[in-house]
Formats: sequence, structure tokens, C-alpha cells
Amino acid sequence: MADDKTPAPAAAADNPYTQTHVVVSGDTLSKIAQKYYGDAALYTKIFQANRDVLSDPNKISPGQKLRIP
Amino acid sequence: MKKLSVWLLTSLVAVLIVGCAGQKAPAEAAIANAESAIAPIRDAARTYVPDQMQAVDAQLNSLKDSLAKGDYAAVIAGAPALNTAISSLKDAAAAKQADAEAAIAKAKDAWAGMSTDVPKMVDAIQSRVDVLSKSHHLPKGVTKDSLASAKSGLDTMKTGWSDASSAATSGDFTTAMSKAQAVKDQATQIMQSLGMTSS
Repeated sequence: MADDKTPAPAAAADNPYTQTHVVVSGDTLSKIAQKYYGDAALYTKIFQANRDVLSDPNKISPGQKLRIP
Repeated sequence: MKKLSVWLLTSLVAVLIVGCAGQKAPAEAAIANAESAIAPIRDAARTYVPDQMQAVDAQLNSLKDSLAKGDYAAVIAGAPALNTAISSLKDAAAAKQADAEAAIAKAKDAWAGMSTDVPKMVDAIQSRVDVLSKSHHLPKGVTKDSLASAKSGLDTMKTGWSDASSAATSGDFTTAMSKAQAVKDQATQIMQSLGMTSS
């Protein structure tokens, strides 16, 4: 996806009003996308917004705090 | 006896004339002093206590009329009250000006925080609206209506923020804060309607 190659905007990373989600055991980006967007396919949006802490969309860890754009 | 009466009458008239002439200079000085006291505070008084300024001007004009009519005694008698009124005017204008300047300084300080926060709130909402617009289903608690309302609200907020920024640029921080607060309140409401509260 073209979106996957787009780096997270610095403004979003610094934005205290960007919603966050703390990863719990069993979470996946798809599940998180389903929760916040109603569409699991939009997990890439979360991955892109968290490229500074995620290198692989399939690898997230409990306790990680992810931005939900 | 008749000569004595004429002499007394003449003397009395002379005393009165001399007496009146003696009051002219103090009366003129009283008016001049009052005008000098009012001049440096007139602009501030007009701005902050216009009714009181008007009342003092009325008092001053009344004494000037008396002076023009040669009623120097009335001028001298009225001068203390005018001076007291000018003193009160000066104090009231200074107090109101201090209050106004404090309110402006407070609004200016508040604007500094607001000008940082509100654009970020709008950006966060724009980002969420952009993503939800691509979603095939909306998350629990978010309706099509709330999404549509958020989209139209973004336009309103951007216009409101532009107005607030213009007011701040022109130095009107009170208006800027009022408009900015309205945008912030709307942003808060939209964020809630989109479920944008952190887990």
C-alpha cells in the first residue's frame, strides 16, 4: 500500500490530542483498528502513525502505547 | 447728611467693584487649573468612565458660563466641588484602565496556551475524520450522523480559528480568546462524539 511508505507526520507524533491505545495481551493492529475505526483493514493507519516504535505491523507488545490517528 | 449718603453709596459701589475685580483673577485661575487637571486624563476618562467625564465637563462648562457672565464668586464657590470631581474622575479612570489592562494581559497569556492547543485538537479530529471516512464500518458508538457532523464541524472550527487568530494578530486578545474558546468547546464535543478518548 502506498500509505505504508508514508512516514508518520511529525505533527501527529507530537500532538497530545491524538488518541492513544495501550497494547494488552492478545491485541493486534487489526483488532485495534477494528475497535477504533470499525474496520480492521485500516490497521495500516495505526502502523504508519507509530513507525517510530513499530518496525513490523505483526509485532506489537503489551504495554506499548500506540497513537491512534 | 445728603452728602454723607452719597459718599457712602459711592464708597459701597467702589468697594463692590474692587471686590469683584479682585475675584476675577482667582476665578480665571480656578478654571485654568481645572482644565489643566482634566487635559492629561481626558482620553482615558472618555474611554473608561465616559459618564463621569461627561458630568465633569458639565460642571466645568457651568463654571465657565459663570466666568463669562462675570459671576466670579460663583466660579470660586464652585471650584472646590469641581476639583473633587476631577480627582474622583482621575482615580476612577485609572482604576478602570488598570482593570482593563489586567484583563487584556490575562487574555494574552491564555491565548498563548490556546493557540498551541486548539490547532492540535483540530488536527487530531481531521486525522480521525480522514481515517473514518475510509472505513467500511464505523466503530461502536460512532454514527454516520456524528461523522458527518464532525466533517462540517471541522469547517466551522477552521473558520472560527481563523477569526480568532486575526483578532489576536490585531491585538484584540479578549475577542481572540472568546472565539478560540468556542472552537475548543466544539472540538471537545466532536472528539467525544468520535470516541476519541484514550484507553
